[in-house]
Amino acid sequence: MKRSGIAAVASFAFTVFFFFSFLAFVNAQEIRILHVNDFHGFAEDHKRLGSDAPQGGIAYLAALAGQLRQEKPSVLLAAGDMIQGNTWANLFEGRPSIEVMNAMGFDAMTVGNHEFDFGKAVLVKRVQEAKFPVLGANIEGLDSLKPYTIKEVGGVRLGIIGIVTEDTPSATHPDNVEGLRFLPVAKTVERCIGELKGRADIIVVLSHIGYNADMALANSVKGIDVIVGGHSHTKTGKHIVVGNTIIVQAWEHGLVLGVLDLTVEDGKIVNAVSRLEEVSPQKIKKPREDVARIVDEYTRQVNEVMGRVIGKASVDLDGENVRVRETNLGNFIADIFKKESGADATIINGGGIRASIKKGGINIKSIYSVLPFNNYIVAIKLTGKQVKDALEYGLSGIEAKEGRFPQVAGLSFTYSTKQPAGSRIKDVFVNGKSIDPEKQYVVATNDFLAAGGDGYQVFREAIRQSQDFAIIGGTIKSGNIVYNDAGRWLRDVVVKAVEEKKNISPSVEGRIRESN
Amino acid sequence: MKGGYANPIEMKLFVNDRQIDLAPGMTVRHALIGAGLFDEALAGEKVFDEWGNEVGLDGALCENAKIYVGMKTRKG
Repeated sequence: MKRSGIAAVASFAFTVFFFFSFLAFVNAQEIRILHVNDFHGFAEDHKRLGSDAPQGGIAYLAALAGQLRQEKPSVLLAAGDMIQGNTWANLFEGRPSIEVMNAMGFDAMTVGNHEFDFGKAVLVKRVQEAKFPVLGANIEGLDSLKPYTIKEVGGVRLGIIGIVTEDTPSATHPDNVEGLRFLPVAKTVERCIGELKGRADIIVVLSHIGYNADMALANSVKGIDVIVGGHSHTKTGKHIVVGNTIIVQAWEHGLVLGVLDLTVEDGKIVNAVSRLEEVSPQKIKKPREDVARIVDEYTRQVNEVMGRVIGKASVDLDGENVRVRETNLGNFIADIFKKESGADATIINGGGIRASIKKGGINIKSIYSVLPFNNYIVAIKLTGKQVKDALEYGLSGIEAKEGRFPQVAGLSFTYSTKQPAGSRIKDVFVNGKSIDPEKQYVVATNDFLAAGGDGYQVFREAIRQSQDFAIIGGTIKSGNIVYNDAGRWLRDVVVKAVEEKKNISPSVEGRIRESN
Repeated sequence: MKGGYANPIEMKLFVNDRQIDLAPGMTVRHALIGAGLFDEALAGEKVFDEWGNEVGLDGALCENAKIYVGMKTRKG
């Protein structure tokens, strides 16, 4: 009797346990978040540094995303910097990226800082073309962007909030962000979470603020379930959890596809499994055909555009002797730096100019051959002494034809190779006046030299001395950095200058004179 | 530091534990140039953040970021 009573209780307990387990199983939802970030228009598969195997390729990524979407209810998200970077996208101001994303059926995208690089009007156009919501909760002044979107996936309501780095105005041309305000990220996300209360089960922040900032955000704001990140191009092999927030990021250039599988019970994530799926032609074999057609069509147009004649050189443009003397091509390019940035003078490295252009028609491809690197214009305040130090350093490797030899605008100088390196510069004139060692001059250069490239230390020292950084009315105000247009490659600025000028006939003017 | 997340102007970071100062908007590529280690990256050496994640050369950096080239992290 006693034994049968125990058996009955055990049987009842087992039934209850089984029943509730069954209920939990019934309530559990399996959903999948597929994600990419920092694609930057790298549509074609390509070989990365140090590797012989082609990787990436958006048509292969699309094929993989399609397969993975069939396995369970999914969303496909993009965490910013999709439309700018590679020539394939740049030549058409990002339109090809949006076309591909439409074909792939993206569910949402947040803007990255580089989405602003073609200007506000172009961004608005791209947003209008997108068949998915483009988010930017912490941007004030651009009505086309939505703060968040709600997407129901497998019975789970995802509240997806988009944010971008507050630093955006400091890394693009001031005109591109004029009239816009970039609000503090944490406060913005808190506000959005409040607005989504009762309307979303899971909060996903689609973030373009970088991995470290994502962690800080997860630490400081309660209620974020998932951060799908971008900006720092971080390859997170597996997700991390900060507080109760899952953080993922999928490297760059469509080289991997992020996969985050979630089990959701009663509006709560009870299990998460993540991975990055490698994207390569060898692995995926068959690209998605409709996406491949878009890629091929724009590639064809790129080739066509590259061959288009945009101006005429009345003389040969000398890119051969840029490491040993002033050349007309060096002058032409240095003048563009000065004009674009409004600087007093330009100092660039001759080694950054890689080819000549023969007299006659100039096509875009020839300019890209002259300036193959992804460099942009920076202007920094230097003292007269620092200007002279930079020139001394530039002249110190002339015997070995080092790339540091300067090409200049707005200034002229004489030098003697009979003197030892470091004491070669004689007279320096800025805009016709003898240089004042104490006075500050705004000097344009490229980001390579500004970072200390070719061994130039002067610009880095000046950056280190910078103070009082602020963004006032969309314009960067800082101690020593006056201009910083990270969103436009120098070669594209030169293309525009040639298109505007049509006939190019620069000469050697005696800006750099040897006086032995 | 502005707003808790923004980078200050004289963005200070560390490459293989050596301090580098960069302008805002500059990336992993610029940090390696400043540290004289860009050739290593061109030769195929991978770059890692302080958490051991690989980062791309165009990846954004932030104040006090630590990146490593030629080693996964200083901590190993």
